[in-house]
Amino acid sequence: MIDQFQSIGRDLFVAGLISSHGGNMSVRMGDRILITRRGSMLGRLEERDIIDIGLDENDANVTLASTEIVVHRAIYQSTAALAIVHTHPPYAIAQSLVRDEIVPIDSEGSYLLHKVPVVSAELTAGSVEVAGLLPQWLKEYDLVMLRGHGPFAIGHLLEEAYQLTSVFETTCKILTIAEGTGRAVKEYRKGSERYESW
Amino acid sequence: MNLASASPWHGKGLRIDVTTGVTTVAAVPPDVSRAYLGGRGLGAYMLLAERVFEIEPLAPQNPLIFAPGPLTGTGAPAAGRYSVSARSPLTGTIFDGNSGGGWGNALKHLGYDYLHVTGRCATPSYLLIGGGGSELRPAAALWGLDVPDTLARLRELHPKCEAAVIGPAGERGVLFASIVNNRGRSVGRGGLGAVMGAKNIKAIVLAGDGGWRPHPADKERFDFVVYEATKMLKSNPITSQGLPEFGTAVLVNVLNQAGALPTRNFRESVFELAEQISGETLRRDHTTKRAACRGCSIGCARRTATAGESGDGPEYETIWALGASCGIGDLTAIVEANYACNRAGMDTITTGATIACAMELTEIGALKGGPRFGDASAMRELVDAVASRDGFGDELAQGSLRFAAAHGHPELAMQVKGLELPAYDPRGMKGQGLAYATSNRGGCHLRANMLYPEILGIPKMIDRFATLGKAGLLINMQNLACVLDSLSLCKFTALAMKEDYYARLLSAVSGETVEPQELLRIGERIWTVERLFNLAAGFSAVDDTLPPRLLNEPVAAGPAKGHVVDLAPMLAEYYICRGWNAAGVPSRPKLEALGVAGLAEAAGVEAQ
Repeated sequence: MIDQFQSIGRDLFVAGLISSHGGNMSVRMGDRILITRRGSMLGRLEERDIIDIGLDENDANVTLASTEIVVHRAIYQSTAALAIVHTHPPYAIAQSLVRDEIVPIDSEGSYLLHKVPVVSAELTAGSVEVAGLLPQWLKEYDLVMLRGHGPFAIGHLLEEAYQLTSVFETTCKILTIAEGTGRAVKEYRKGSERYESW
Repeated sequence: MNLASASPWHGKGLRIDVTTGVTTVAAVPPDVSRAYLGGRGLGAYMLLAERVFEIEPLAPQNPLIFAPGPLTGTGAPAAGRYSVSARSPLTGTIFDGNSGGGWGNALKHLGYDYLHVTGRCATPSYLLIGGGGSELRPAAALWGLDVPDTLARLRELHPKCEAAVIGPAGERGVLFASIVNNRGRSVGRGGLGAVMGAKNIKAIVLAGDGGWRPHPADKERFDFVVYEATKMLKSNPITSQGLPEFGTAVLVNVLNQAGALPTRNFRESVFELAEQISGETLRRDHTTKRAACRGCSIGCARRTATAGESGDGPEYETIWALGASCGIGDLTAIVEANYACNRAGMDTITTGATIACAMELTEIGALKGGPRFGDASAMRELVDAVASRDGFGDELAQGSLRFAAAHGHPELAMQVKGLELPAYDPRGMKGQGLAYATSNRGGCHLRANMLYPEILGIPKMIDRFATLGKAGLLINMQNLACVLDSLSLCKFTALAMKEDYYARLLSAVSGETVEPQELLRIGERIWTVERLFNLAAGFSAVDDTLPPRLLNEPVAAGPAKGHVVDLAPMLAEYYICRGWNAAGVPSRPKLEALGVAGLAEAAGVEAQ
């Protein structure tokens, strides 16, 4: 399991989806969670950076767990997720500042994401407010964007959640570039207007 | 989920006691439909609630429950299926199997959520159900006919009917006899055909129309989700190319290359003649036509022919069971033995695996004059002997565990809970070992198939030789399999679709939002009810195991060389992740959370 955390953490950093100490990841094992350590560098994870903590109940390891443990717990308690990846990708954050939902215009993003809701909260890091908001959306969408902060992606495996995160940032980059041309986007997909109702 | 506006459930089932001929229409309470969906889930609930764990499998009181699901016949992708549930005569466990074709759609159109059959006819009969009611008709003229002839005769008697029938194997009580419906699709495993035969019922014929038509509550949304789901199926190379082009036999070379193709009764995990029995060879030498169940875009079924015969299949599992498992590389012999099984109405996996067991017993000298590995010429004769229960065939007709035990070597029966293992050697894919050991119906790949993440990389490739860390993923797959079997959809859709698609389909059909998590919770409930049935029937954690060979004998050669299944730590992790105690019994809080504590108590299962 440590291998998966290390390889995906490294990829997240190299791909520019997080800053040096940004982001966090976890997996669910029954009623336990393995989550990255608060302040750990996902690009350089070691065994001591993976914290084992209860899904529902706290123990001493809460002193070491990621700041976002409250959000991860809430997501696991309300969805079928077995893995969560949270990152701070720049194009996605930029798009979240000007939209209430992000509908991909590229093919890969359309296939995998259909639509990404943008959720707003006053306190965005490790907040009970976010823990109350996000799971409701993640019941229907595998990736939800927290405005100005970053996406939370879920899956059965870390790699799945990582893939969605990567695709989402690429989608936002394409969207930003296409908008920057100042020209109207030519539609190539049948029924794309329905993605907003996905 | 509010059923008030839901169209996919009829809210009623048909119960028939064939001893007395008494027929009743019984209500299905909305909370039961909400909690168990239909198909397998509804069957499991009724079998536990009716205390079928106390009933001998071949006794008249053992009910055969036929049930389509809420998506059957709606136009959802690959949703033309139905389940049959009963206590298995082969395993003694709770059991269900499902089949495609058109029979499930026909029952749905007649306006029933299930058909519940108990009792025993005084003489061979068939059950005719139409829009105006049901009746038992004499089947003396059908008794003894093989499956294709029975189906053909019934079509003459009742044009355009859909029929589910048994062959001679079911009539004679072969413990792994199947139920077969039109289009050559079978409820193959566990001997539910023998349960039907014990009731003296040759066929259940659906003729007529009850007037039901699919009416998705949100038609526009339903069409959109179907469009998107079909897009996923058509863009996935397995569902759009591999299965349509080669059928399930495409897996022969895939598993062999991975060192996970069980060979000669699991003595080896690489078959040197795999290419001769591969999907590619089947397509080149025998396939005449691709076929599909109603409403399916995948089309994994084959019509095939040899020089002298033609028919359906064989599927991958069949090619393996009658081929690699027995050390046979003669594809024509395999195809023809498959036809013989289909005509007799027998599960090809258990047939082949039991013959493979006999071959090993012969090789080690525990069986005098028996068949030997690689003897293709004996295969056809053996299959016919099993179907007719003639001589040696009568012993084989009991399945591998009873057969091997009778010859002093139960450890050579490659089975779990009495059901023969299918075509994946878990020493080359460790998660599959845990899947076999914990399966509620015994050694089976359809309760959860770790082939997806361990070999095919779906949803992502994981280390197939690793042990720990797989329980969560497996449990999710087991719960999802319960959902698919209850909705009722083909499991191949899960090669390209995730659970949110199924939730969106049901939401659009019912008009009420169903979340993916809610669906998986329903799956967990169904799995737990099945577990409770087995516990009440006397099964325990001791039965959650694998044949000794897979635990103790390292693979001698190939990609899995040196590997065994280290089951104990995987099982411990599994119980924890399930919320069960170390004895494999669900905890009281878990039962309460799933809403089945009352069922457990009524069944006499003591939770802690």
